Amino acid sequence: MSQQRSSYAVGAGLFIVLGFAALAYLATQTSSVANARQGDSYVVDTQFTNIGQLKERAPVKIAGVRVGQVQSITLTPGHDVADVKLSIDRHYDHIPQDSVATVFTSGLLGDQYVGIQYGSAKDVLADGGTLARTKSSQPLEEMLGKFFGAGGVVDNVGGSYTVKAGFTNVGTLSAGAPVKMAGVVIGSVQSVVADPVKLNAEVVLSIDKRFDAIPDDSAAAVFTSGLIGSQYVAIQPGGSPDVLKDGDEMILTQSAMQLEDLIGKFLVSGSDKKDAGDGK
Amino acid sequence: MSTRTPQPNGAVARSLAQVGACGLFLLTLLAAIPRSFRHGRETIRQVWFVGAMSLTIIMVCGLFVGMVLMLQLYHVLSIFGGTSASGMVVALSVYRELGPVVTALLFAGRAGTSITAEIGLMRATDQIDAMEMMAVDPVAYVATPRFLAGLIAMPLLCCVFSAMAVFGGHLVGVTWLGIDNGTFWSNMTAVVDVHTDIVNGILLKSLAFGAVVSLIAVFQGFTTPPTSEGVAYATTRTVVASSIAILALDFVLTAFLM
Amino acid sequence: MTQSDRSPPDDSSLVKVRGLTTVLNGKTIFDALDLDIPRGKVTAIMGPSGTGKTTLLKHITGQMRADAGSIHVNGENVAQLSRERLFKLREGIGYLFQNSALLTDFDVFENVAFPLRQHTKLPEELIRNLVLMKLQAVGLRGAARLMPDELSGGMARRVALARAIVFDPMLILYDEPFVGLDPVALNQVLKLIRTLNQTLGITSVLVAHELAAVQQVADHVFLIANGKVVAQGDPRAIANDGSPWTRQFFGGGADGPVPFQYPAGDYAEALGFKGAGA
Repeated sequence: MSQQRSSYAVGAGLFIVLGFAALAYLATQTSSVANARQGDSYVVDTQFTNIGQLKERAPVKIAGVRVGQVQSITLTPGHDVADVKLSIDRHYDHIPQDSVATVFTSGLLGDQYVGIQYGSAKDVLADGGTLARTKSSQPLEEMLGKFFGAGGVVDNVGGSYTVKAGFTNVGTLSAGAPVKMAGVVIGSVQSVVADPVKLNAEVVLSIDKRFDAIPDDSAAAVFTSGLIGSQYVAIQPGGSPDVLKDGDEMILTQSAMQLEDLIGKFLVSGSDKKDAGDGK
Repeated sequence: MSTRTPQPNGAVARSLAQVGACGLFLLTLLAAIPRSFRHGRETIRQVWFVGAMSLTIIMVCGLFVGMVLMLQLYHVLSIFGGTSASGMVVALSVYRELGPVVTALLFAGRAGTSITAEIGLMRATDQIDAMEMMAVDPVAYVATPRFLAGLIAMPLLCCVFSAMAVFGGHLVGVTWLGIDNGTFWSNMTAVVDVHTDIVNGILLKSLAFGAVVSLIAVFQGFTTPPTSEGVAYATTRTVVASSIAILALDFVLTAFLM
Repeated sequence: MTQSDRSPPDDSSLVKVRGLTTVLNGKTIFDALDLDIPRGKVTAIMGPSGTGKTTLLKHITGQMRADAGSIHVNGENVAQLSRERLFKLREGIGYLFQNSALLTDFDVFENVAFPLRQHTKLPEELIRNLVLMKLQAVGLRGAARLMPDELSGGMARRVALARAIVFDPMLILYDEPFVGLDPVALNQVLKLIRTLNQTLGITSVLVAHELAAVQQVADHVFLIANGKVVAQGDPRAIANDGSPWTRQFFGGGADGPVPFQYPAGDYAEALGFKGAGA
């Protein structure tokens, strides 16, 4: 009689333990909590002006081989570069101090990772050290812009605190889209309204008050996440000693690239003729 | 249980009467909880029967759901070149919706029907009457332990289901279809939030579903005519009513929580 | 009526039914029924099927409430008892169900021990001894480890009896104890009923159909039909008391006060012969 009861109790207890183990697994391995873990590794600091789509736990690779992962990505208020901590396996402890960390993309549309190219210095990185030389991710528009020579037409324009910016074309930008600096979100688009007087789109940006050291000659550009992702406003810091305050307008803006313009430019510059018909 | 109160005519009125009676029964169940602590062993026994015995079907189905989901997602996402997001989508859809709902439906089919049938048969063979005669409250001894066991077992089963689904998705995606292992996990962990997805999604939803399914199963067992065909109808009604309640509650909870 | 212990009051009826009236689903089950169950004796309640004999037992235990009238068990009005008092009363009543109603998940020992475990905090040793004693009394101590579905009908009934007497009750209600038993098992049950009554003085109420068995064991018999007591007396003499009810019931007539034909309309009309007489 008590054997029956104790076997049920044991079975029920095992079941409960299994359930909690599954819960623990889910919570720690598959959620953002997992990013807090570390293996047997050491931490290296880097800074990027633009992290692009880099996410925490993204791989860190040397010569294409995974040696660690991105531990954390933060933007300190007042700075305009993103602090990225890399967690590198202790096996790989001969990374020269003058190595370069670059944000690469796997393939054309894949995810981004940090690649480290060896330098030639004798001193190696230790736990808590800093990789000074970095290359940031290239937003698509900048790449295409360099390729086609179509530079950004920098339009005129100047809490959260709000800042206005006018664009000749906002593409698919809408209220709620993120505002990023160096790839890290610092605010959001509050409204997108067509201005009947200036005949452009007036965009009001709501920026977190922590980031109150943005030079007032910074540029606002409408970029796309990836090739077909949603659009966001990126702020590229300028060098003015004065900073943006609530109600200011950003003077330098760059509009969204339209797919048709890009294709048109490609066809025109490829055939060297101005005749659109020849582009077929 | 009383054949003396007049029964309403019309299918709609009768369904409403059932729902109302079920709600009142919930109050009886809850009131009996303090008394059921005397029968703690019975609750543990029921956790075994209701929870642990359902493990097989939950684990197998969880595995298959994860595998199928990954297959479907891969083919659609590869059109956009976004297959690296498939791990994240599998995890999110399982934690938020598929996990709780499918687990609850399977639970209703396996554990709910067995509860209803068991209680119905106990009534048909006078065991409930015998308990009353022995001055043991049948609600506290039979109904509440099964209800509590369902409450305890459902979230645990849901966690196991979700874990198996993620494992199945990993199996198909990484091992078979060739998605990068690191990308699979990094995208998932970047987006899955413990509070929104795991606590709200898995735990809260499955707790609510467990309560509803157990309540319906116990209610049907206690209120059907204690004949063999009465019991047969009762088990069918348990599954039907549980399924409707689960999906309706799912909608309400999703609107509130997410 | 404030007695709360089981010391005998100064009258000789353990159960007093007065003016009991119950209507179920439009049918009048009891119509101002009056009944006295004498203390310490075996009383049989007989009657045609469906007269509500089991319902009467349920009224005695408080499982059902009457529409009018009262039932006093050991001086307490059953319908007015609080929940705890009712449970206390039930501890003093043993009930033997027609189909034994053993809990199917437990073996014989656990079934008999069930009331003890639920209501007492006796040490395991004591429970074990009590259970084995009761099983010995019904002759099934060796079957203590069998499961209910391994028992024959007669054995199951005896286990249920062991369970019913585990608290040494003052009253035992037997609901159709002889149904479906072979002659050997029937005699075993008869012996037990007699023994329990003679050695322990337990008041016994039998609901049964089998006159021969009842005659062997009952001191008094009530015949209930149409919601009333239509005959009562010593079971050996009642078959000859002259009323049409006893003549049909105990004399074996197929037709009499309990009609053969279920009430129906005119036969000739039903067959299509209009206007024909009776």
